[in-house]
Amino acid sequence: MIKLAQISKSFGRNQVLNNIDLTVTKGEVVVILGPSGSGKTTLLRCVNYLEKPSSGEIAIGDFKVNCKHARKKEIHQLRQKTAMVFQQYNLFRHKTALENVMEGLLIVKKLPKDEARKRSIALLEKVGLASKLDAYPSQLSGGQQQRVGIARALALEPEVILFDEPTSALDPELVGEVLAVIRKIAKEGITMIVVTHEMGFARDVANHVVFMDGGVIVEEGTPTELFNHPREERTKQFLKRITPEFNYSI
Amino acid sequence: MKLDPSFIWTALVQILSAIPTTLYITVVSVLIGFVIGVAVALIRLYRVPLLHPLAVGYVTFIRGTPMLTHLLLIYFGLPVLIDGLAVHFGWSFRSVSIPMIGFAYISFSITAGAYMSEVVRSGLLAVDRGQLEAAHSIGMTTPQALKRIVFPQALAASLPNLSNSVIGMLHGSTLAFTVSVVDINAKAQIVASTNWKFFEAYLAAALIFWALTFLIERVTSVIEKRINLYNRGGVA
Repeated sequence: MIKLAQISKSFGRNQVLNNIDLTVTKGEVVVILGPSGSGKTTLLRCVNYLEKPSSGEIAIGDFKVNCKHARKKEIHQLRQKTAMVFQQYNLFRHKTALENVMEGLLIVKKLPKDEARKRSIALLEKVGLASKLDAYPSQLSGGQQQRVGIARALALEPEVILFDEPTSALDPELVGEVLAVIRKIAKEGITMIVVTHEMGFARDVANHVVFMDGGVIVEEGTPTELFNHPREERTKQFLKRITPEFNYSI
Repeated sequence: MKLDPSFIWTALVQILSAIPTTLYITVVSVLIGFVIGVAVALIRLYRVPLLHPLAVGYVTFIRGTPMLTHLLLIYFGLPVLIDGLAVHFGWSFRSVSIPMIGFAYISFSITAGAYMSEVVRSGLLAVDRGQLEAAHSIGMTTPQALKRIVFPQALAASLPNLSNSVIGMLHGSTLAFTVSVVDINAKAQIVASTNWKFFEAYLAAALIFWALTFLIERVTSVIEKRINLYNRGGVA
């Protein structure tokens, strides 16, 4: 179980997150929605300390970090329990697809090379890239790169995978292949927190949808609750704008 | 005065004996300079307290003064310092036992360090921040991430500039003659003045420098090709 408590974050005088509380149970797929600037990506990046929260507490299972005085070692442990899939893929550019997936297994998990290789190949097969093991990121399409990114995250067997707008940088035709992979691993019961603008995906795959605006969680609930019966006015406005097919009146 | 083409060859053969000296100076100053450069670049990028202003001062002073001046400052300043310390602490070591080439090693390393720190810094800045974030996200520590992810890419990005620095140091090493080190150029001067054929001797020296530089260019291009295998994109 992952528990964020009273997470706040400011960049200078600009408060981006304001006392966020969020609980994610094991195996749950949480989708965070919200307009740009609402703080959803910042919140996600706080979970693995790519952004340092100004205050609050992050708990993954029994492991707790108090953000006001987190030590280097704690941050390192936190990062070993999480993995992230980035909007811009961020594959290691000087390593092949296979080496990208193996890197964490070799260096962080300290697996022997054969074992790391075997596991990495299996994961790349799972994301449909068995034929691209030796390709460098520059030789792969955006969708393929992102699937390598997902394999790299899966390899570490983290407690949670954080997806930061995983399809936002993709060509529209490539979005489907990446969402299909994410859907597949969601069904395997891997805990995920996903920031996305893909409403269809949120509706189908999420167990829990969170709507953020202005650095706070405005509303959260099951997809049915949030999409079909939003309570807050701000949520209704947002959904109306982003899913025009439901309420389109000119 | 008439050109004596055959003497170019004679001079060339005689100058060959000075090539190792030039190469020693170049290799030592480039290697030590590279280590200094990496350290200074990291200190500046991470804004290490106390060391940061020192690093900035070092780079601006060294880049703001000629290489020859560095050599003369070290040549005349270092003995005073060493002997002063030796007397103070009662060491038996005296500066006279430093070989002349030692001054060239020290001063050119300092020179190379300042220039190379800027090369390394630009290489590090060329690596996308996302690379470091991705390394952190899979649980690597910052030193692991720098060593395995950032440095290899930074090195690839700075290779053309590094080769420039190496060539610069090769040519700059000729200044060592001011402290009586017999490098290629000094040797040419010796050969020239004993035979009164200056133009021929310097022409021979020029050919040797050109050949060495050509070699450096070739080696760089081979390394560049291998190291940049992954870089299929880009404008080139």
